[in-house]
Amino acid sequence: MTKRNFWLFLINVLVILMIRARDQSIALHREDPELVNIVSKVKKQPTLLHLEQLNLKIRAIWTNKCFSCHSSEKMKADLALDTYEGVLAGGKDGEILIKGHAAKSDIIRRLKLPKGHREAMPSKGEPLTPLQINAIALWIDHGAIWAESSGKLFYEAPLSLYKPKIPPSTSGITHPIDLLVDEYFRKQSKTRWPVLINDIQFIRRVYLDVTGLLPLPEEVELFIADPDPQKRNALITKLLARNEDYTLHWLSFWNDLLRNDYSGPGFITEGRKQISSWLYESLNQDSAYTSMVKSLIHPNPESEGFIQGIAWRGEVNSSQSTEMQAAQNVAQSLLGLNLKCASCHNSFVNNVSLAQSYGFANIFAQKPMEIHRCDAPTGQFAQSQFIYPQLGLIKADSLDDRLVELAAFITKPENGRLYRTMVNRIWHQLFGRGLVANLDDMDQKPWSQEVLDYLAAEFRDQGTSIKGLLQHILTSNTYQLSAQDYDGEENLFSKPFIFKGPGLRKLHAEQVADAISQCIQPMYEGSAFDPENKQLPAFWIWHHYKKFDRTVLPDPGTIYLRKSFIIKNITKIQSAKIIATADHSLKVYLNGTEIIQSQDYRKFRAQDISTLLKSGRNILAVEAGNDGEIAKPAGVLLHARIISEGKDTLHIYSDATWKTTDSLSSTSWTTAGFNDRRWRPAHRYSSYLQSPWGKLIKFNLDGYHQDKLLRASLVKIDPLQLALGRPTRENVTTKRSEEPGLLQSITLNNHPLLHLRIKEGAEIWFSKFLTNPDDLITHLYKSLLIRLPNPAEKKIMQQYLVPYNASSIEDVIWSLIVSPEFQFL
Amino acid sequence: MNSELTRREFIEKMKLATLASMGTGLVSSSLFNACSPAKKTASTADCVVLLWMAGGMAHTETFDPKIYTPFRKGMESKSVISTFKSIPTALDGIHFSEGLEGLASILNKGTMIRSYRAADLGFILHTRHQYHWHTCYQPPQNVQPPHIGAWIAGELGSKNGVIPPFIDIGQRFTVGEGEELKAFHSAGFLGSEHAPFIIPDPAQGLDSISPPPGMDSLRFERRQQLLKDLIDQSPLKHAHGDQKDSYIRSMERSYALLKSPEAKAFDLRFEPKEIYDQYNTGRFGLGCLMARRLVEHGARFISVTTEYEPFLGWDTHENGHSRLIKMKELIDRPITLLINELDQKGLLDRTLVILASEFSRDMLTEGRPGSNVKDQVDVPKIIKQAKHYGMHRHFTDGCSMMMWGGGIKKGHVIGQTAAERPFSATTEPIVIDQVHQTIYHSLGIVPETHRVVEGRPIYTTPDGHGEVIEGIFGN
Repeated sequence: MTKRNFWLFLINVLVILMIRARDQSIALHREDPELVNIVSKVKKQPTLLHLEQLNLKIRAIWTNKCFSCHSSEKMKADLALDTYEGVLAGGKDGEILIKGHAAKSDIIRRLKLPKGHREAMPSKGEPLTPLQINAIALWIDHGAIWAESSGKLFYEAPLSLYKPKIPPSTSGITHPIDLLVDEYFRKQSKTRWPVLINDIQFIRRVYLDVTGLLPLPEEVELFIADPDPQKRNALITKLLARNEDYTLHWLSFWNDLLRNDYSGPGFITEGRKQISSWLYESLNQDSAYTSMVKSLIHPNPESEGFIQGIAWRGEVNSSQSTEMQAAQNVAQSLLGLNLKCASCHNSFVNNVSLAQSYGFANIFAQKPMEIHRCDAPTGQFAQSQFIYPQLGLIKADSLDDRLVELAAFITKPENGRLYRTMVNRIWHQLFGRGLVANLDDMDQKPWSQEVLDYLAAEFRDQGTSIKGLLQHILTSNTYQLSAQDYDGEENLFSKPFIFKGPGLRKLHAEQVADAISQCIQPMYEGSAFDPENKQLPAFWIWHHYKKFDRTVLPDPGTIYLRKSFIIKNITKIQSAKIIATADHSLKVYLNGTEIIQSQDYRKFRAQDISTLLKSGRNILAVEAGNDGEIAKPAGVLLHARIISEGKDTLHIYSDATWKTTDSLSSTSWTTAGFNDRRWRPAHRYSSYLQSPWGKLIKFNLDGYHQDKLLRASLVKIDPLQLALGRPTRENVTTKRSEEPGLLQSITLNNHPLLHLRIKEGAEIWFSKFLTNPDDLITHLYKSLLIRLPNPAEKKIMQQYLVPYNASSIEDVIWSLIVSPEFQFL
Repeated sequence: MNSELTRREFIEKMKLATLASMGTGLVSSSLFNACSPAKKTASTADCVVLLWMAGGMAHTETFDPKIYTPFRKGMESKSVISTFKSIPTALDGIHFSEGLEGLASILNKGTMIRSYRAADLGFILHTRHQYHWHTCYQPPQNVQPPHIGAWIAGELGSKNGVIPPFIDIGQRFTVGEGEELKAFHSAGFLGSEHAPFIIPDPAQGLDSISPPPGMDSLRFERRQQLLKDLIDQSPLKHAHGDQKDSYIRSMERSYALLKSPEAKAFDLRFEPKEIYDQYNTGRFGLGCLMARRLVEHGARFISVTTEYEPFLGWDTHENGHSRLIKMKELIDRPITLLINELDQKGLLDRTLVILASEFSRDMLTEGRPGSNVKDQVDVPKIIKQAKHYGMHRHFTDGCSMMMWGGGIKKGHVIGQTAAERPFSATTEPIVIDQVHQTIYHSLGIVPETHRVVEGRPIYTTPDGHGEVIEGIFGN
């Protein structure tokens, strides 16, 4: 070892020893550098600004250390530290502080008492650090200034919840929400409650809110006839118990919130992962919200897609790295906090700094992140830190452990923000406007802090069941107030806002589609996500179209497909069935006999083919057509199953073992004698599970799901739903646009799919009410508008239905579907 | 920014701004700037046609030819420069590549940029580069940026209140990378009101702006009357407020649009057969014809694409030479006709036509010279087969772009690329922010134009960057 190296070695040893010593002291008294900083500032310059900043720091300490006993909701020893009044009032032992005299203040005496002393504070948990105690003393010495949120540039909502006192029941009002709202109305000098909705309006509203579906006419009649005064509550309970309907309705809300979708950019390069199965199960079981949050932050393989974000290949702006996406999305979706500004520079919409954003993102990072300001590296590396360190300090080294820590901190009961944010989102869904208008900025003031904090605390204390929260809100009279227009959407979100009842809500794209599926004709046949995860090894096959040696979409035209198979002994066959479909059309021949013909890929039915089979070689032959003018997706999907004695089952699937051609040389091609040597192997354009047509849920040989309604929430977004406001989920969406746009109204006027479904439905309605237009009118009103037509409406309908045919019925159905009464809630 | 400005006032301002711009050709900056001094700039164009060469058009094989190196079995890849001969253009000393005779003849009507540099995004993914070109923002973004056409639609609206302002012709989304394509054929945070009208096949363009299939106009009228009668009779009529009223108004407006004679702009059958046939080199050619009709009828932004389909169109991973013969046949005649017809009709002066591609191609360099971009194309050192003869790698360091009309200088060339490989831009490098600000400038849309999204101002280009390309307007 050279002399120089020796000195370096010695210095190293010393540094290590010093770091160890410091670490130990930190382990005992981990001081917050920001507190150190502000204390020294106050000592140098006790300006009002600095004193207020000090006060905010102290309150953060109290939030962490004292609020579990001394908050407005707990009031142990009659002391509340979460309001200035509470601090000044002191507790049952008298005043806790004397302004300007820390030495004479009881709080300082108690904080300094050794742990274990009867009067030492805090009585539970670790004592405060010397610096923390000094800071409080300093604050008292300088007059115990209370910052009315002015210490920070932006108002920050207190982290903890306070449980407002519920006013005593009066004049028949018993529900806590109603009692708080009653008090609110009084303050707004409204002596009377607005009217509640009637039973018909109620059943429609609650059905759409819980299940996303319309009530069936029979259900409406029974409900109205029911004399039970508790019937509304009973219906709420009944609907919430309809797990599948509930899940398939609320799935859209959660997909929007958690940026989960079945298609979209990123999937092609595996830069994105669905959380659909996990989400479906969580909703179906009504998992506690806190467990959901934990699974999202410290994920399992089924839920990891949320924090994994969307990765595009190539270099990405540092504010869009997947770690930063995780931080932004967790902050926005779960905490109602905008981190997007602060992922480039210190925020100017809230108090979050660039370092804080990076500190938060760093929790999700494999390697320490270098802080970039406006995409330029700063040379500084982020320290893992939760935005609200008062809830806990991230200490772990491994990514997995950090996520465990974060998941625990974020779901702490003290983190009122988590509960408020979700309560506010659910309130928005039900009332068309949140208690806090901006759903993603929970630092804004609600129209009623009492209602928000009461509900958030209730949600938290009742085990964070989303269904429980819904039930609590739905059973209030407040939910059952009649819908208010608030003079247009722009006023609904303006300030000041005065609550008068739920805002008018536009039905969501999925609700419109589902209502049509329910009452008129199924909108969709193929699902993008199948909760049952049924498999079928069949493919959508077609003649292989190539250009310049590259596979391209099939051109319009007719193609031919063949598949031969051997049956050893025809007498042993117990059952033989086939099902087949194609876009756009097909004819299927078995041994030269036509067995299936279809012009619509949605229409298929399993058929018995046992009588057409023979021993030896059999031939399935398909003639299929791709319609239209330009190349587009086309495919044949087929499954045949021949069961013989002794469990010997032959399956034939549409797959690459089929042979195809697009030009026919002989008419005998459907028979076994034809030589298809020159034909080419079929091309598998897509699998049964993933195809442009979705997974056809009714496509099976055994008749499963023939009456199942495929909900729009399970279907890939299409131009119709896009136009009706369903978001593409590249980013978190917490509020759908409700502005009626021209594109949307053009879509309602002429969208081919909507038009087709109404047309098909009209034919069915016509066949049901062949000679009786009056009955048809009544039933249509009952199904779509949940009421009977009035005489004037009936007359208009009667006149329109001359001549009475499928076309006039189609127009009548359309007019009801696009009517404002149907479109709004 | 004035935070007291309510949303309603805002919308009123927007309407006024739009009206004002419709009348005078002047645009105030975005509504959100209500408190800042209203900056106005005179416009030189009323509408924009973007001719999109999807898949990466090699500059050395089209508008910026180098030395012709004919195919020889056994030639070295690095010796291949241009695979076409050069042809003269309307400008002395400027040459195009063979097969673009029509476009060469109209170079005196526009400006050619030879020094566009596409962003180097670290990995070539066509749709990511296209997203960047069309929105000016690199994906991913934590709010969805709008397509340039949606910005223009949002700022200027339709010219006559009838034809949708933003029309997007020729791209199917059923092709590979369809989801990535959808991500930028979108109005993003501007909302679906400004989303493109998408017409994959111009021959069927009318469908999107007609009554539903099979419904004659008499029945369409009757149906509308039925809706109106029912709304009038609804027991809830008295409960209608602003929100329902604006819904009803919107339904009425769309009805009027679908009934409007202007919708004929979308119907190519109204064109004389000889004109139709001249344009008809395929869907792209017919798209150019539709673009001309839409310019005449009041659209603001029309995009016509040769269509992106992975490994097809301009995306030549092999057979570059032979496939470019076809691509040139596809574009040369209809674009030449489009420019000449707009010119003859006196429309070119106020119509900015742009021809562009997401990047260029080269035989050897992937991405930028010296950058470390993953190679995706197999290029042999020695060429034995004709299929290896052509520009098969993706090149970002020098690309050609054309602009005609809308105040753009005539017969002008900006920038140049090196005569030797790599054929990078050597002078006046132009980046996408500049291209966008140049387009906005021609329309009188100021660089300060922005929207406040989630509390943040988001500009048409990132932070409003990008100077108008120097010397491109004039004469």
